[in-house]
Amino acid sequence: MTDPAKPLPRLTPDSQPFWDALRARELRLPYCTACGRPHLPPGPVCPFCFADQVEWRTASGRGTVSSWTVVHKAWFPAFAADIPYNVVQVELEEGPRLTARVVGLPNDRLRVGLPVVIDFDEAREGVTLPRFRPAP
Amino acid sequence: MALTIRDQTAIVGIGQSAYGRFLPDSQLKLGAKALRAALDDAGLARADVDGVAIHLGWPLGVDYDRVAEAYGLDLRWVSQSWLHGRFVTSAIQQAAMAVACGLASVVACVTAISFTRERQILGGPGDAEGTREDGGTHGESPPYGLTAPAGGAALAMQRYMALYGATSAELAAVPIAFRKHALKSPYAVMKKPLTFAEHQAARMVVDPLRLYDCCLITDGAAVVLVTSAERARDLKQPPVYLAGMQGLRSGRDEFIFAPRGLGLNQQPAMRSQPDERDLAVYRMAGIEHADVAGLYTYDAFSPLVLFVLERFGFCGPGEAAKWVQNGRIELDGKLPMNTSGGLLSEAHVGGWNSILEIVRQLRGAAGERQIPRARYLQWGTAWGDAVIFRN
Repeated sequence: MTDPAKPLPRLTPDSQPFWDALRARELRLPYCTACGRPHLPPGPVCPFCFADQVEWRTASGRGTVSSWTVVHKAWFPAFAADIPYNVVQVELEEGPRLTARVVGLPNDRLRVGLPVVIDFDEAREGVTLPRFRPAP
Repeated sequence: MALTIRDQTAIVGIGQSAYGRFLPDSQLKLGAKALRAALDDAGLARADVDGVAIHLGWPLGVDYDRVAEAYGLDLRWVSQSWLHGRFVTSAIQQAAMAVACGLASVVACVTAISFTRERQILGGPGDAEGTREDGGTHGESPPYGLTAPAGGAALAMQRYMALYGATSAELAAVPIAFRKHALKSPYAVMKKPLTFAEHQAARMVVDPLRLYDCCLITDGAAVVLVTSAERARDLKQPPVYLAGMQGLRSGRDEFIFAPRGLGLNQQPAMRSQPDERDLAVYRMAGIEHADVAGLYTYDAFSPLVLFVLERFGFCGPGEAAKWVQNGRIELDGKLPMNTSGGLLSEAHVGGWNSILEIVRQLRGAAGERQIPRARYLQWGTAWGDAVIFRN
């Protein structure tokens, strides 16, 4: 397997609404209709109360960086030109955490607790990846 | 009534191939050498082996049936998981339970791997782990270029550093200690001392993990033979008993490369002291922490060594980076760890090189690495599974 392309998210019936919403430049989260709690990654049931029904609601798009790293090694040829690039986990205001990238900030200013807001990366055909910017 | 596994089974034979980089032998050939050595060590014949517990298999290694076919084994029980450090304990436990329950008489735990030939699979485009439905379990996120397990360990350590003020300079104590141990292991791949300055000057791989915080990529095989305590007493070697064990913790409170409550992935960000379920292994073995003469862990990345100390309560949450300073985990320290050098400096044989070292230590056969009066040694990981061995 020498396909140099960057991997795309693998969509499942559970996560399809998440990615569909992103294509419409919206961050949505699955909320349990029984206990009311949101969760990530999108799952088949509520992981807290095991209820079957979830409903998708728009998230605030605000959060804080709960951890971060900067990758210096080219495991994937397709990412070699991007090195060094960051990958962060963002704790959304609603609670669940999301892995993504922060743009608009030098990597040496990344820190745990950094307030961020959602942004959208439409660089790849048919898929919009969530990314974050420092909160204004 | 529950069956208790305490002291019912023992390791009676160990064997290995050479460890190295770019070894010419196939994985199966390395494994054959290790199996032959283990049988010789135990005074058993190939026909005595009627079970295998392995954590090899697709995509990085051979499956159980090819192992049996290649070595001419005639098995009545097998267990297979895949090549993750989390499954070392599982393989030992499966072997012990199969023997204790009468499903097998002698189980061979076989690990044989040529990482150097398979290295393009590790975290690269050929690594299907992170790209399968619902992704990988070390925090992989391939669309963002986080494709190797090291990424998850880096995210955990970065958060740990922010929460507790730990530093890369403190983390250096871990690979430096294990390098010292490796220099005393005739099997170790790394042959030169590692200085603090070298650790700090080494290239960053995935921040904050520098080169020497990441384990070796090597080739090698290791085999452990497990049988009943009763049968063990009639065999060639002094038995090393499996005195206690506990399983792998899993749930939303867990992330494979973090202690509970660190706040990675969906873990709550709320650290706590280990509870009864975290410490059951000591109760089963009938010992306290102070009885553990050495601790062995899956050190794929140096932060995992800090996290296992906190997981099992050798120190409190956030204390491990300070705790490991001043030689505390070195051979003449308070709690020697990975005394043959571990994955960081001896070799990456899926963690089994450290299981072999435990057995050598408890036989009193560890040479200049010998822990004096070692009676109980622990294998345990940052993710909560453990085995207590005794002689």
